[in-house]
Amino acid sequence: MAIIEVDKITKRFRAKRGGRVLIGRGGLGDLIRGKKTETVTALEEMSFDVEPGESLGIIGANGSGKSTLLKIIAGVTVPTEGDVRVRGRVASLLELGAGFHPMLTGRENVYLNAGILGMRHKHVDEVFDQILEFSGIGSFIDYPVDTYSSGMYVRIGFAVAAYTNPDIFLIDEVLSVGDEEFQRRCRTRIGELMEMGKTIVFVSHDLGIVNTLCKRVILLSQGKMVLRDSTSKAIDFYLRQIGAEKGLHTMRSGPLEAIMSNGRISLFYNQEEVTSASGMQFKVFNLGFWHESKDADWEISDRSDTSCIARGYMAKLSATFVWDISLENGEMAWKLSIHCDRTLCADMLESNLFFPTHYTRWTYDDGNGTFQELRPEDTDWVAATAPELLCETSALLPPDDSDRPAIVISCEGLRAHSRGSWLNSDYMTGSRVFRTEEHTGEESKSFDPGDHEIIAYRIRPDASKEALKKRLSEQSDRQTLTVGKLRCRFDRGRIRLSFNGTQLTDVVHVYASMLIQNLWHDSVNLRWESIDHDGDVLRFEGSSRRVPLRMTWEMRPEGDALGLTIWIEAFEPLDVQEYHTSIVLKEDYTDWKTDHESGSFPEFTSEMHDWHHLNENYAVASFGEATGGSQPTVRLESSTDDVATRMTILNTGHQQRGRVLQALCPPDHGVIRFEPGKRLYFKGRIVVTEV
Amino acid sequence: MSLSFYTNAQQSQLRQVVPDLIRARQLLGDLVWKDIRVRYRYALMGFFWAIIEPLIMMAVLTFVFAYVFQLRFPGVAGEASPRETAVNILTGLIAWQFFSTGIIASTNSLIESRSLVTKVNFPREVIPLAAIGVSFVNFVIGAVLLLAIYTLLLWQLPGLAILWLPAIFAIELAIVCGLGLLFSCLNASFRDVGYMVNAALLFGFYASPIFYEPGLVEEAFPKLYPLYFLNPMAGLISAYREALFLNQAPSLVHLISPMVFAVGSSLAGIIVFRKSAATLSDKL
Repeated sequence: MAIIEVDKITKRFRAKRGGRVLIGRGGLGDLIRGKKTETVTALEEMSFDVEPGESLGIIGANGSGKSTLLKIIAGVTVPTEGDVRVRGRVASLLELGAGFHPMLTGRENVYLNAGILGMRHKHVDEVFDQILEFSGIGSFIDYPVDTYSSGMYVRIGFAVAAYTNPDIFLIDEVLSVGDEEFQRRCRTRIGELMEMGKTIVFVSHDLGIVNTLCKRVILLSQGKMVLRDSTSKAIDFYLRQIGAEKGLHTMRSGPLEAIMSNGRISLFYNQEEVTSASGMQFKVFNLGFWHESKDADWEISDRSDTSCIARGYMAKLSATFVWDISLENGEMAWKLSIHCDRTLCADMLESNLFFPTHYTRWTYDDGNGTFQELRPEDTDWVAATAPELLCETSALLPPDDSDRPAIVISCEGLRAHSRGSWLNSDYMTGSRVFRTEEHTGEESKSFDPGDHEIIAYRIRPDASKEALKKRLSEQSDRQTLTVGKLRCRFDRGRIRLSFNGTQLTDVVHVYASMLIQNLWHDSVNLRWESIDHDGDVLRFEGSSRRVPLRMTWEMRPEGDALGLTIWIEAFEPLDVQEYHTSIVLKEDYTDWKTDHESGSFPEFTSEMHDWHHLNENYAVASFGEATGGSQPTVRLESSTDDVATRMTILNTGHQQRGRVLQALCPPDHGVIRFEPGKRLYFKGRIVVTEV
Repeated sequence: MSLSFYTNAQQSQLRQVVPDLIRARQLLGDLVWKDIRVRYRYALMGFFWAIIEPLIMMAVLTFVFAYVFQLRFPGVAGEASPRETAVNILTGLIAWQFFSTGIIASTNSLIESRSLVTKVNFPREVIPLAAIGVSFVNFVIGAVLLLAIYTLLLWQLPGLAILWLPAIFAIELAIVCGLGLLFSCLNASFRDVGYMVNAALLFGFYASPIFYEPGLVEEAFPKLYPLYFLNPMAGLISAYREALFLNQAPSLVHLISPMVFAVGSSLAGIIVFRKSAATLSDKL
C-alpha cells in the first residue's frame, strides 16, 4: 500500500498583499470597490503515489509548486481540493532548526525541536548522544544557540530531524547549506536512511544529487505535473523543456546535440546523454567563495541551430561569464571567457566536465589508466591523475563491450598555469570528472577590466574507439620495458611495475622526490617527454616549472632486473635538504628487510594519516626488500658508491595503503648543494623474483 | 513508534481536537516552559522576577489607591479599612491580569510563531494555549501571593468558601481559552483583530469592578446597571470577592453571564480555530 497518496489535489492561494501591487487580501479598499480577491493556483489536479522505501525526487523551475507540494505532504497546509493520505510519521527538513529559540541552549532546543516534530522526551534521551555526535557541536551543546555559527545551527537542526526516526523524510534544498564536510555527512546519513527503508521525498535544484538519490522523479511546471518517470528520463526532459527560457538553448548538428541550460551544458550523441546530470560547469573562487556558473543569471544571444553565445551575470561578482558554444564537424567547441567590469581578483578558476560512470578508462597526455569503481562510502573526490600541466588532448573510454562513444577532449589557448586532471567524484555525484584548474597561488590573480579568455575546449564523442585504442597501445609500447616477467611502464615521472601480469606497485609507483625549501618536488609533477628509445634502453627527460632543474631517467634491462639511473641537472645552484627514489608497493606486502635489520609492516589503522618510518637504523645501506605471502619479492638496490643512500622503509597513510621502499639521500650536514650542471641522482636496480 | 495516519480532511475534523491535544500535551508543556525560561534566562535574579514583579506592582497600587486616592470598599462591617481595600483591589487586578494578558498573548501568538506554523505540522491549538499557559503560571504566582497578603494584611485566614475559587477560575479559563483561540486565528487573516482586542480590553478594564465595586455603577447609571453584568468579568470579579471576603458561595446572578460566555466562546473558539487551522500557514 502506498505510504503517501496524493489524489487530485489542487491548491489555490489568495494573492497576498505585497510589494509592488496591492492586490486583494480582502482589504477594506477592495471591499468598497467591490473587487474580488485574486487567487493564484499553485498546484493543479495532481495525483501520484509514493511506495514505502521509495525515494522520489521533485524537480522543477522556481515557482513551479515544489515547495507547496512538499508542505501539503508535510501537513503544514491542506489542498483546496483533493486528498492527501499519509501513513506514517513525517519529518520535514523544510527548514532546519525551525522553532529554535536563540536564548535556549542547544540541548534545550534539541528537546523542544524534537517535541515539535512529535517525539517524546524519553525517545530523545535514547538518541541524544547520536544527535550530539552527528552534529559535531561538542561542548557547545550547553551554550545558548545564539552563540552558534550559522553552520552549527544548521548542523544541530539536521541532526534532530535525521534522528527523530520518522517513516517519511521530506527534504527541501537543505543540502545546499553548511560546509562541505557537513554536507557530506548529511548525504551519508540520507544514504543510511534509504538503506533503512525510509521513504524520502526530495526537492532540489541540484540534478546531480537528485540523480543519485532518487529512483523516480516528478517534474513540475507551473503547478502541473509534467512528467513522472525514471530519474534519467525526467532530468533529460527537464533540461530540454523547462528552466528559465532565456538561459536555455538547444543546438544540433548531425548526431550531436548540446543543451545549454543556465550555466550547465549537457551533451548528447545519437540521442544518448554523454555527460552526466551535472553536465559541464565552470566556477571562480573569489574572496572565500566559489561562484558557480549554475548560480548565474544567464542570457543567450546569437542563437542559431548549431551555436550560441551565453552570458552569465554573477550576482556577487563584478564579472560576467561569456561562453561561446558551437557544434561543428562532429565536435563541440566551448570557449570560456570572463568579462570583468572592474578588476577581479580570482584565487582559482575551475571547469568541471562530468561524465557518467559507464566510462571506465582515462587517458591523459601520454598516460592512461582505469577508474576505480565508485562505492557508497566514497564521500571524497579522488584524483585519478595528479593535476599536471594541462595537456592538449585527453580521452575517456567506455569498457570494450559498451557501445558508448569514446570522448576526446582537447584544450586550446592554454594559460600558463592551467592544470588538468581526471577525477572520480563522490558517490552521490556519481561521475568521472575532467577538471581544469588555474590556481593563482597566494597572490591572487587579478583580471583587469575587459575580456579575458580562460580556456577553449573541443569535445568530440567519437564512435571509432579502435583508433584511440591503437594509439593508446602504441603509446604504452614506446614507454614500456619488459625484462623477463617484469613489465615496467614509464608514466610521466613514475614507473608502473607489474610481474606476470599482476600489478606490484600502487599510488605513485616508482618515483623520485626532492625536498627543497621545505617543499617536496615529486618527479610526477615534472613535464616529461621521451627523448630516446634505443632498443632496450628507454630515456625520458622531465623539466620542472617551479625549480630550475631537469631530470633524466634511464631504464634498461640488467639481467632479469630493471636497471634505473637518474641524473639531475640544475640550472642554478640548488639547495636540497634531502632526496629519494622510492617504490610504493601494494598493501599485500607484509615483511621488509634491509642490510641492517628486518621487520613487518603494521596493519593500517585510521589513525595513520601520514607516511611514517619503520626502520631504526639509518646507516648507509645497499638494499631494501619487501616480501609478502605469494607476492614476488621486490628489492630496491643502490649500486654505486658515488651516491651514498640509506634504505628507509615506510608505511603510507591509511587512505593510500602502500608499503614503501626508499633509497634516501640525507646530507650529513644541513643541505646538499647542487651546483649548476648534471650529476648522478640515483643508480641501482629493481629486482623482482618469484617466491 | 506510533504509526500515525492522516488525511487533509482529518485535520479540520472537530472530533480530533481532544486526541490531538492529548498527544501534544508534552509539547504544550515544553512551549510554556520555554517561554518562561527565555523570559528570565539572562536576568541575574532569574525566576525571582516572576514573584518580585507582581509584589512591587501590588505594593504600588495599594499605596496609590488605598492611601493616596483613599478609595473605600464596603467591608463586612461598614466601610472597609485601607488594608481591606488594598486586598480587594488586588483580587480584581489579578483576575483581570490573567484575563487580559491571556487574551492578548494568545491573539498574537500565531503570528509570533509564524516560522514554526509554516514549517512543521502539529496541532495548531498548542500555540495559543501555550501563550495562555504562560499567563496561567503568572496567575498562579499572583494568586498565592494574594492569599499570603490577605492573611498577613488582614491577619486572618480566608474562609472555607475559597474552595469556590478554582471553580470560578475554571469559568474564567474557559472564556480566555475560547476567546484566545477565536482571536488568534482571526488575527492571522485580519490583523485588525489584534488592535480591536487591545481597544476592547482597555474598555473592559474600566467596565469591570476592579477599582470600584458594582454598587457605584448602580448609583451612577441605574438604567444601565442591568446590562453591567453582561460583562463576564464583572460577574467573575464579584464572585471572587464574595468567596474570598464574604466567605460565601458566589451568587448565581454573578455567574450566569460568565458561564454562558464560557460555553459560547469555547465552542466558537474551538470550532472556528479547527476550521481554519489547516490553512493557517497560508495566511501567516
